[in-house]
Amino acid sequence: VEGRPVSWPVTPGTLETLEVEALVVDRYLDSLLAAAERRAADAPADAALDPALRAAALRLRDEVVRVHPSFRFEERLARRLAAAAAAMRLAPAAGGEVAPLPLMPELAAFEGGPADAADAGDPARLADTGNPGDPGRPVNPGDPGRPPGAPHPLLVGGAVTSALLSIAGAAFVAWRLTRGATDSPLARSALDDALDGALAGAVADDPFARGVPEDPLARVLRTVRAALPRGLA
Amino acid sequence: VFGRKRAEQATGAIRRVVPLDPDRSLVRAAQADPARFDALYRKYLAQVYNLAHHELRNHHEAEDVTERTFLLALGALPRFREEAPPEAGPEASTFRVWLFRIARNVVANHRRTIRRRPVAPLEMAAAATGEDVEAGAVARAQASAAWAAVARLPEDRRQAVTLRFVEEMTTAEIAGVLGRSEGAVRVLLHRALRAVARDLEAWRGGR
Repeated sequence: VEGRPVSWPVTPGTLETLEVEALVVDRYLDSLLAAAERRAADAPADAALDPALRAAALRLRDEVVRVHPSFRFEERLARRLAAAAAAMRLAPAAGGEVAPLPLMPELAAFEGGPADAADAGDPARLADTGNPGDPGRPVNPGDPGRPPGAPHPLLVGGAVTSALLSIAGAAFVAWRLTRGATDSPLARSALDDALDGALAGAVADDPFARGVPEDPLARVLRTVRAALPRGLA
Repeated sequence: VFGRKRAEQATGAIRRVVPLDPDRSLVRAAQADPARFDALYRKYLAQVYNLAHHELRNHHEAEDVTERTFLLALGALPRFREEAPPEAGPEASTFRVWLFRIARNVVANHRRTIRRRPVAPLEMAAAATGEDVEAGAVARAQASAAWAAVARLPEDRRQAVTLRFVEEMTTAEIAGVLGRSEGAVRVLLHRALRAVARDLEAWRGGR
């Protein structure tokens, strides 16, 4: 593979053989997994493929273990996402000019940098710059102004804390924009839901807060809530 | 994944296959109304969680990674484009590929954090908490000689195998997730399978 050291002499002949073998393996895997999908009892046989490779592929298919997250986790995360979605909807509804989700540049910056330091020099990774703003992109997606090697901003309590702080911030800004519109119970209700969700999540379920005696995020959210008018908080 | 050949670009760029995104309608609905992201979340939760669990072998860490992945995806969804621009290379982005690229980077960042702040290994944690069903699944996975061999592979090969067998992704999708060419992914899988076969031989010989 380009850019990586190899431990055997590579000649055009070996490279070609390797690619052909890899292609045969790939086709075999296609048929093997397709057989599993249609619940076929027999495994496809491919005489062109080394029997040891066939056996290994068969065992990997048969012994694969799939796990499912707990229902509790699924619902808790669904609530968090709903709260974040509500915050995303709220600000445009108030007529404000809003970035897609204000929390995400911070979160992306936190997640930024090469996915693995050892991979930093990998041309395949460095070439992966095609989708600007793509969080799957390994190099500083949220902060194009910051060079890849620069230190990340210090965030209290981790990425999710940062995310929820921003949700609360977005919700608060949106509320400020809607202050005059007292006839908008929908906006208020959505804001309230967002804060409820963020606060409940931060206090009860935040995995980043496990074992932390006092969650700074919960404190900030309570402060935001306390600043709201009585009808809203 | 169904594919269609794109006509050559006006610039004379190379011909390439752009996978049709089966999630197009769900993605567009979620882009119009973030509350509709729930459908995508429900559809891919188990898959993302599985990848994280296979990579990290820890239930709590898999949950953390899954959570971050979906929060990031929701936030960046308005910027998601079904097709990467031609200059982006062959990894035209579909939602599933895009989501798994996020997950892969979150896993890598999580690993970096753990390296800086080491914690007790999974076995000790499971023993301490008397962990239940999840621990059983992990034990079963560890008992499988084939998957134990996969766990010993270098990161890129291991991820390619996980995406192929656990997530049942095509080579093209894996190429998109790993940011490599399809040929490179095929070679990764081939080498991984050879290593697993060698380990299985040794395991049988040593028994």
